[in-house]
Amino acid sequence: MISTTSMTFDDRPSARQVCVFLARYGTALLGCGATCIRLEKNIDRIAASWGMKTSITIMPRHLHITVTDPGSDDLFTAIDEVSPAAVSFSLNTRLSRLSWEVADCHLNYDNTVERFDDIIANCGGRLSRGGELLLVAAANASFCRLFGGDAVAMAVVAVATLAGYYLKILMLEHHIDVRVVVMASAFVSAVLAAGDALFGIGSTPGVALATSVLYLVPGVPLLNSFSDILYRHYICAFSRLVDATVTVACLSIGMCGGMLLMNQGMF
Amino acid sequence: MDWIDLLQDALFAAIAAIGFACISRPPAGAYWCCAVIAAAGHSLRYMLINSPEIGMHIVPATLLASLVVGVMAVFLSPKVRCPAETCLFPALLPMIPGIYAYKSVAGLAMCILHDSPEEFDRYFSLFTFNGLTCLCILFVMVLGATVPIFVFKRVSFSATR
Repeated sequence: MISTTSMTFDDRPSARQVCVFLARYGTALLGCGATCIRLEKNIDRIAASWGMKTSITIMPRHLHITVTDPGSDDLFTAIDEVSPAAVSFSLNTRLSRLSWEVADCHLNYDNTVERFDDIIANCGGRLSRGGELLLVAAANASFCRLFGGDAVAMAVVAVATLAGYYLKILMLEHHIDVRVVVMASAFVSAVLAAGDALFGIGSTPGVALATSVLYLVPGVPLLNSFSDILYRHYICAFSRLVDATVTVACLSIGMCGGMLLMNQGMF
Repeated sequence: MDWIDLLQDALFAAIAAIGFACISRPPAGAYWCCAVIAAAGHSLRYMLINSPEIGMHIVPATLLASLVVGVMAVFLSPKVRCPAETCLFPALLPMIPGIYAYKSVAGLAMCILHDSPEEFDRYFSLFTFNGLTCLCILFVMVLGATVPIFVFKRVSFSATR
């Protein structure tokens, strides 16, 4: 448990300190999959509670932030790079809560930085590998059922998802390019799902094949990009959309490759 | 429309939402929220499409269902003190038009692999029909789900307070 101290006038951080911290905070938030509007609101909230004003430019891979201290007319600008990280709503939630703690409990600068470092070091939210694999396999099998797949198709999709998702985790741990990872995972899942049609064991082999790769669909970037469009963050929206499109293209290439290998018709 | 089918639809949508939620690592308390919202949204869409009295097309049905998903996410997320997106996105994923997407990609691949103009026309028609349907569903789905966050801005952005 971290003890907290409310901010007094003497604790007021400099524009430079605030700017450097907010650049770190912003890139962490952007990296974990937050929308641009959430980033702006959280940063403004923290800066306002320390008596500062901010101006932010959000680029797809960089955050450009200027902090002004109206009391002393000090002005400081920082540019920080967004590190590519996996989507983590847990981190997003904890960082958003931190911004409210700063605003409502008047956390001082040192306590806020300490708490931020603690959140980054122990962001959590990840299940055990086995638990995650089982849940994703069950989710994709349920997906198959929602699209009209029979019990055999669901079982085939669960196995194909287990294998594909496990490969994805392993390849990402070896820092292999995410596009190659998506292609390889889709290929493996499609090859395994083609077994339903190949051995004629079920009545909905097409559904099994079509749903076997859906766990790779980049849902969060797609949905984030639309939220960014609503708030007129067009550059970020376009970047996320292109990112999602590239992932879908890789997924399609992997799936088509798997189907060609197994000599499966597409209709 | 069979009530058992409707309940099954809700159940499988909830399982799908929980499974896909774990990929994006939400806080532990948010899983039930994702499941409830996904079950409500997907079963509503199922009812709108399959009920003989309503028989709605998939696109407007998706729009209505995703609006309900969006509103539920905005008002349930403060209960678990997490951003609305945390509950919204996994709950929306079971509505992704996977089969249309698959058929449009397959149509495009078959267009390239076939030489005769008749075959090309046939697969091109499949590609455009499925591709357009898929895009329309995606568009209304995202629109319906994000508009409540935009409308109820104050609630949405103070959920983590």
